[in-house]
Amino acid sequence: MGAATAELSKLRTLPVAVSAVLGTIGIGAAIGAALARMASADTAIPDTAIALKVVPYVQIGAILLGILPVAHEYEGRQICTTLASVPDRGRVIAAKSIACGTVLAVTLLATIASVLGTVSLIRWTGGGIPAATPQEWERTAGAVLYLVLIGLLAHAATLVLRHLVPALITMLVLVLVLPPVLAGLGEHARWLPDRAGTQLYAPADMVLTPGTGALVLLGWVLVVGAPGAIRFLRADT
Amino acid sequence: MILARALAAELRKLLTLPGVWAGIGVTVLGTAVITALNAFSERAAFEAGEPAPSVFKTAYAAMPLGTVGAVVIGVLAIGAEYTANSPDAGGGRQIGTTLTAVPRRLALVAAKAVAVVLLTAATAAVAVPLSITVAQLLGGAATIETVPSEDAVAWWLGAVLYWTLMALIAFGATVLTRNVIVPLVVLTANSTLVSFSLLLTKLTPLAYGLPDMAGRKLFGGVDMVDGGLDAGPGGVVMAAWAAALVTAGGIVFTRRDA
Repeated sequence: MGAATAELSKLRTLPVAVSAVLGTIGIGAAIGAALARMASADTAIPDTAIALKVVPYVQIGAILLGILPVAHEYEGRQICTTLASVPDRGRVIAAKSIACGTVLAVTLLATIASVLGTVSLIRWTGGGIPAATPQEWERTAGAVLYLVLIGLLAHAATLVLRHLVPALITMLVLVLVLPPVLAGLGEHARWLPDRAGTQLYAPADMVLTPGTGALVLLGWVLVVGAPGAIRFLRADT
Repeated sequence: MILARALAAELRKLLTLPGVWAGIGVTVLGTAVITALNAFSERAAFEAGEPAPSVFKTAYAAMPLGTVGAVVIGVLAIGAEYTANSPDAGGGRQIGTTLTAVPRRLALVAAKAVAVVLLTAATAAVAVPLSITVAQLLGGAATIETVPSEDAVAWWLGAVLYWTLMALIAFGATVLTRNVIVPLVVLTANSTLVSFSLLLTKLTPLAYGLPDMAGRKLFGGVDMVDGGLDAGPGGVVMAAWAAALVTAGGIVFTRRDA
């Protein structure tokens, strides 16, 4: 518990992490405002449907927040200090993952809330816009879960790669660049992390449901995280 | 003379950075592998009765990956100078050593910019024909080519120009900001469909003049987006952005503390 608190306080005092949190919330709201302006003529869809279109952009913030907790340890030799105070490496990984997950959950919940707030403020006309159905609220919750899982995948990838630039490029290529480029994979593309996870907030797949899509994405986190954890436990710092 | 020696030094420094080799690898091998995958599936689709695919369409579908490689090369050319060494090796930054060796800062920025241009252009000049050859060989009888050879050469040069300008834009932005995260994230995201400038174009047509949107038509007949500037004017606007960013970076670099 103490270790997780320590990791949280390290993130709180890391300027780039604070900027990433505020940037994700702020940029998310700004993009939400832009999308709401574009859809101003379309009053037939609820606010949540517009807010969900922000998710592909916001996931960049989630990726950055997933990378920072591990990457900043290797920027200098802070990792040596960390391991001197908590020599049990398994506990360090657990504490870091808990801290990372907490920051991700809080930030992304706040982001989606701020996006929804901005969108409804801009579209507020005193009625006429349909209220979100329970199914749409489920999708909104699914979007938060998707973003947290993508952030945790970035965290897992950073355990393997250790440094910020390689982890950032790998995640951006895996999540943003490859899916549209890999048209050749055809139906197999559904197993890519972002395609599987997308079922959580925009279900459209014939095989995967929101539940199984989330499990596939969780599987990616574990498959990438396992070698990362082994490297962290066994390899030299 | 100082410029030639500085250029040789910068080229050597670039070529000994592992990250730059990753960028070159992504551009050359990444596009070839993706093209191979796409060529196989298009051949299967052709044998199942679909219309024959174009070699160029297949090869150019992989090109966003090359943009990522170009951005990495441009960002690391200056970003690596500001990364702190391991404390076991003194914990210093390379920029101090670099400026001791080449005190004329404008000459240094110019040498770095030329090194980035040479490396990206060479990488692109190899990557594009390689992907087209892969698409041709693997597509087999399934491919048709409707593109006249002069258009093909123009598209090839267009792709080389786009990647080179993109690397310069990344380089200029990183010199200005001394930050690798923002240029990497923004320029990589903008080369995909989750693009901030693409979003802006839906709010104002002025956004078609943004650096990465302006040159999109340089990729010949493979349009990812409708509208925007044609290849010629778009290339000029993109080149103007690259020149402006590198110049602004150079001016700031000569005036502030390293």
